[in-house]
Amino acid sequence: MAAVEPSPRVTPRPRRAIAHREQVMGTVVTIDIYTDDGTCGPEVSLGLARARAILRRADAVFSTWKPESPMSRLRRGEISCGEAPPEMAEVLEMCAVARELSHGWFDPWALPGGVDPTGYVKGWAAQRAVDALDSVEVAGALVNAAGDIASIRSTTPFRIGIAHPVERGELACVVELPGAIATSGNYERGAHLIDPRSGRPVESVASASVTGPDLGLADALATALAVAGGEGLTMFDAIDGYEAFVVLCDGSSQWTPGFPTVRARCRRSDAAGVTPHRSGDGREMDV
Amino acid sequence: MRRAPIVIAATAAGLAGVLSFHTKSPRLTLGSLPGVSATTGSTSTGGSSGRSSSGASPPTTSTSTPSSPSTTPTTAPSSTRQATGPQVNYNYGVLSVSVTVKGKTISKVAIASLDDGGNPRSESIDQQSIPLLEQQALQAQSANIQGVSGASYTSAGFQQSLQSALSQLGF
Repeated sequence: MAAVEPSPRVTPRPRRAIAHREQVMGTVVTIDIYTDDGTCGPEVSLGLARARAILRRADAVFSTWKPESPMSRLRRGEISCGEAPPEMAEVLEMCAVARELSHGWFDPWALPGGVDPTGYVKGWAAQRAVDALDSVEVAGALVNAAGDIASIRSTTPFRIGIAHPVERGELACVVELPGAIATSGNYERGAHLIDPRSGRPVESVASASVTGPDLGLADALATALAVAGGEGLTMFDAIDGYEAFVVLCDGSSQWTPGFPTVRARCRRSDAAGVTPHRSGDGREMDV
Repeated sequence: MRRAPIVIAATAAGLAGVLSFHTKSPRLTLGSLPGVSATTGSTSTGGSSGRSSSGASPPTTSTSTPSSPSTTPTTAPSSTRQATGPQVNYNYGVLSVSVTVKGKTISKVAIASLDDGGNPRSESIDQQSIPLLEQQALQAQSANIQGVSGASYTSAGFQQSLQSALSQLGF
């Protein structure tokens, strides 16, 4: 295919061999698998089967809506963590890490009805699913769990748009995916959030996106950031490998210096007072 | 930190609502947009209540495109055609999606029917999210991107109905 390309510098783009949709975990999970020539060999099919099994098992173990799931039984106190399947301890341990990294903004133990790691599990499961797709035949893969996206190696980096939560139909920006991206919306927009440390209202955000190597942690941190607001961006100074992007309720954006934006909106409101972090290399431009 | 747990609880409750969606149909496979056609028999009128209209086909058969992923509508490429997907459940009601294609391009995506039972919370969510979803569907094909990141309450039902409508058109 490369021979017909006008420029010798263009490498052949991987072609999508599989576009699969799985209804699981109460949502639709999309699995896209790319190969060099767009064909689907046995390793690709095996990988897809592994990924689907991982998603279904995560649903069976962690669903808080299935009364007989180990998660539901743990919440009712019928079993201990040690009596649950081994991934329960793994997930709760990572939730504790996310709670610490987010200074308590993400806290599955603070919820009514008992511990609820839902904000971590969807990303965690999608990350494990995409990891299971890896084989010599695969040139890249994406698992998109209703807008939370994990990926594995692609010779051509995947580009993902972030839906603009205020201006309908617009993309807030496009990122070159470094691994995973999770976006949380703040649907309780009417609420006045008070920063417990300063006592002042926090700058509430319409949506918060986090990129990084692992979708589980990105998912939890995006949940935390949606609650913490724009000031929560500073927490990422101390979290290696993870970057963040928020859209404020006035439609303007702020992001951490390393956020992998390839295309972002430059709005007048930015210049008028809200000063976003700049990525520093002049890549921002009008859409 | 007194306020933080409360706010987190509210957010998580919203997320829990999303995750509760469609627990009655744990498995569904549909082709994706564009390039893979899910087998779709019935169309818009039956209230299919959260089930895929392609439910009769074995799960894996609709997932692989062994060779070219290019879209090949079966009729004349320049004609404008329209189809409506089945009614599917979403969090707060039932919706169906219609899609118009011109040649190999999606030209319009719209909500063909929507019944949320008058739930006021649902109405506000619909007003926010459905136009967004319409545009996401359009933009995902036009921009040079492989996906859209962003949470949405109704995306699962929307995508199901959209995909079925596209399948009817040979996408």
